[in-house]
Amino acid sequence: MPDESPSRGFWYWLRVAAVGRRPKRTLLRLAVLMVAAVVVFKFALLPIRVVGLSMEPTFHDHAINFINRLAYVRGQPRRGDVVGIRFSTNLDAAIHVMLLKRVVGLPGETISFAGGYLCINGDPQDEPYLKLRSDWNEPGKSLGPNEYYFVGDNRSMPPGQHEHGVAFRSQIVGRVLFKGNQ
Amino acid sequence: MKLIVRLILLAALGALALCSWDFFFPTPKKVIEKHLVKLARLASFSSTDGNFKRLADTERIGSLLAPNIHVVLDVPGGRSQTFDNRAEVLQAVMAARSSVKDLQAQFTDLAINLSPDTQSAVALLTVKAKIGGEPDLLVELLKFSFKNTNDDWLITGLETVKPLR
Repeated sequence: MPDESPSRGFWYWLRVAAVGRRPKRTLLRLAVLMVAAVVVFKFALLPIRVVGLSMEPTFHDHAINFINRLAYVRGQPRRGDVVGIRFSTNLDAAIHVMLLKRVVGLPGETISFAGGYLCINGDPQDEPYLKLRSDWNEPGKSLGPNEYYFVGDNRSMPPGQHEHGVAFRSQIVGRVLFKGNQ
Repeated sequence: MKLIVRLILLAALGALALCSWDFFFPTPKKVIEKHLVKLARLASFSSTDGNFKRLADTERIGSLLAPNIHVVLDVPGGRSQTFDNRAEVLQAVMAARSSVKDLQAQFTDLAINLSPDTQSAVALLTVKAKIGGEPDLLVELLKFSFKNTNDDWLITGLETVKPLR
């Protein structure tokens, strides 16, 4: 009598759908995926949710994005980069809350605002990403060798209500991954 | 098999011993962290809380503060406020509780620096506060100063810190 393969019933196909034909291989793939996810999202890409209006209209309130922590491993922040900045200068603290701002001043420069325009070493700058502007006037701040100047894209409110200013290079967590409405 | 069971038991006993040591003899940083967690919990309140609970929580907040605490709060869009002793701070806390429906405060990203003589410490943390009726989350960087007074860590100073200078 010829051999007959056993009937493949409902439970067999349910098991195949759940864990595949080779459960051990599926388990191994799952373990590799989990380790990869932990490594990527802990050390490389930090998921963030934007809260607030200071980066409108480039980034909307409640928008989801990622901070690329490896963006400046080989290289320095450039003017125009949108970056995540840790609140504290204490690098031992965890990072659950960050500022999301744009780099507008580089080390060694003097940054000021005149009539709502950003001035670098006294020269007014054209900022194509800036859609919401009001009449900001702020005296010059000179940046040290490891200092950058950060400001949001929504400058429709008085400067006292908009978090902006100088932070150290070490406070920059990384660069935003998806560039928003620029 | 018996050896493995013994090793597991030994590891479990070791972990229990470590946890017990940590519980009965906490380090100053652990004590300060516990105080801050307690402060965030006591500072939070909801509209359903009774007056007795609010008063009791305010008293408990007072037990975490030094009598000569100095507080400087500088909130964006608002004026700067200074308080020079515990009584003034508690009065402000009671006033805030009566003017706001509810408040949920959470302390996060905590970093504690102990002085070399381990008698004082500075804690930097980020506070996230959701005020009832307000659409936006209030986020501020706070600096707490602590002093070891009779084996108890009391808050001697509190100020808001600008993350960007």
